[in-house]
Amino acid sequence: MPIARLKMYRSIANRSLQNVLAYRNSYVINFLAGTINLLAIYFLWKGIYSGRTEVGGYTWDQMKTYLLITYLANSVLSWYSETAISGKILDGSVAVDLLKPIDFQSARFAETLGSSLFEGAQSLILITVFALCITGIAFPGSAHVYVLFIISLLGAVLVKFGIVYLAALVCFWSTGSMGIVWTRIALTNLLSGALVPLVFFPDWLERLALMLPFQSIIHTPTMIFLEQAGTWESLRLIGLQWFWGILLWLAGKAMWSWAVRQVTIHGG
Amino acid sequence: MNETEEVFILSIIEARGLSKSFMQAVKEPGLKGAFKHLLVPKHVEKVAVKPLNLSVEAGETVAYVGPNGAGKSTTIKMLTGILAPSAGSISVNGINPYKKRMENAAQIGAVFGQRTQLWWDIPIVESFSLLKDIYQIPEAVYRRNLEQFTELLGMDEFIHLSARKLSLGQRMRADLAAALIHNPPILYLDEPTIGLDVSVKQKIREFIKKINEEQQTTVMLTTHDLGDIEDLCKRLVIIDHGSIIYDGSLSEVKSRFARNRLIFFQIAEPLPLLLEQLAATPGMKLVQQSELEFSVAFDRYEYTASDVVSRVMRQGEVVDFRMEETGIEQVIKAVYDGNLELSHSGNGEVAERHAYSQA
Repeated sequence: MPIARLKMYRSIANRSLQNVLAYRNSYVINFLAGTINLLAIYFLWKGIYSGRTEVGGYTWDQMKTYLLITYLANSVLSWYSETAISGKILDGSVAVDLLKPIDFQSARFAETLGSSLFEGAQSLILITVFALCITGIAFPGSAHVYVLFIISLLGAVLVKFGIVYLAALVCFWSTGSMGIVWTRIALTNLLSGALVPLVFFPDWLERLALMLPFQSIIHTPTMIFLEQAGTWESLRLIGLQWFWGILLWLAGKAMWSWAVRQVTIHGG
Repeated sequence: MNETEEVFILSIIEARGLSKSFMQAVKEPGLKGAFKHLLVPKHVEKVAVKPLNLSVEAGETVAYVGPNGAGKSTTIKMLTGILAPSAGSISVNGINPYKKRMENAAQIGAVFGQRTQLWWDIPIVESFSLLKDIYQIPEAVYRRNLEQFTELLGMDEFIHLSARKLSLGQRMRADLAAALIHNPPILYLDEPTIGLDVSVKQKIREFIKKINEEQQTTVMLTTHDLGDIEDLCKRLVIIDHGSIIYDGSLSEVKSRFARNRLIFFQIAEPLPLLLEQLAATPGMKLVQQSELEFSVAFDRYEYTASDVVSRVMRQGEVVDFRMEETGIEQVIKAVYDGNLELSHSGNGEVAERHAYSQA
């Protein structure tokens, strides 16, 4: 019964959303931290641009837009989902999940979507406030760019989930998640374009980054929003996101069943 | 051959030659040992469960007891499908729990005392309604169960709180309800009353009993709490060092091993001669607390209580006396301590190997 299954995962997403909403104080703090972070990055780049009209082909107005979109794309699927998955593995409560007639990976993805909805909404408010306060944001002119952009954001979530999930499963073989999470974040930030746009990289690194899945998370949505990619190029990039998303999903599935075999044989 | 096959179909839980061994890292002591292990890790095989047979009929309540590390939890984990057996076969309601984990998960309920399946930060009732979607419970069944469970377990005072705000007793009640909300035919309980106060224990036991009677739910329970066993289980399976050392009815083990009685006396004046006599009598054992207070332990197949009491009363004035029956508690404690060796012969008959000398 696929409809009943869908309902079940929707229900999980709903509970996950409720769960993040329960932390009232923590989202005030998150909001504050996000604001400070965004301000810091903004002024850093403002400093870099002082006396220049262009850096690496980006005007200051384009860069401002780039920063806001990066912030939005990066905020969905953040700390909460990341630690929720690895936490389950580390404290052994994964055993409780094994006792349920649900697919672990799909359930975690549903949870991620639930919490991402909140995280996304939160940062959308923040960047709207920012966009109103500063001038020169380059909004796209035509409606279809927005549609493509939203689709690419969904693709970004799928790819990011794939990477986060694989990283979390590594916790089956380690006793802590911090090292893994920090490594994961550093790699993603560098290779996705969250730190600097990929065109700023030396040629070889840019080419390498474009061959890896990370670029789907930041590079793709920003290229689309800044209209640096035409319609066909945008569709190609979105197709690439789905390619990576599905590939990572299958890799996650394989790694999970292997890990579970290890755990069920050697004891958790 | 035909007969065993028939049993295989009838029993709801059937384990044959089930065993489990783990690879355990051996490290030599000290820094040197730690380095050595880093370079050339050494492992030894540790047998957690030796090949065992177990069949549980539908509707039975079975207490699965044994000292810590005896292999109880390992067996339960294999039965629930979250641990793969090293050898042997398991069938739970016709399903191999390890091979078909999801199918098996749909037909069982489980409470592991230390872990919760409730969402930490949302109201309990939301966790329940999520389970409704996970197990695809029809609305009417869900409503009825929720209502009944809420009443029986007294959950209305906390059903709208999140799990993090609950006391241990409340959380256990909620977890138990969560494990049964989909009417599973089989329920596994791993130390369900650990750390709970008497009244909550009572509530939980009554609840389990009721569910077992009304829905014929098969219950398999591990516990260190002997009250759980006496209240809930007609059948007792004792495991020690990975082997089942007793499998039979609770009343049988009681009548067989609770054969010694203990009478406590308080007398008006010291009677050293009597005490000497009692201590010398075969089949009796004297435990002296003070000059005026002592207990006599005796084999109730050799002496009657009136024998013992009249012997004392003939010689002096008895201020007070009280009789204590050896409960299942002492029997199991004796097994744990290794003082008593039980062996089972198929149909649950008990054979004694050790002389039953210690009182």
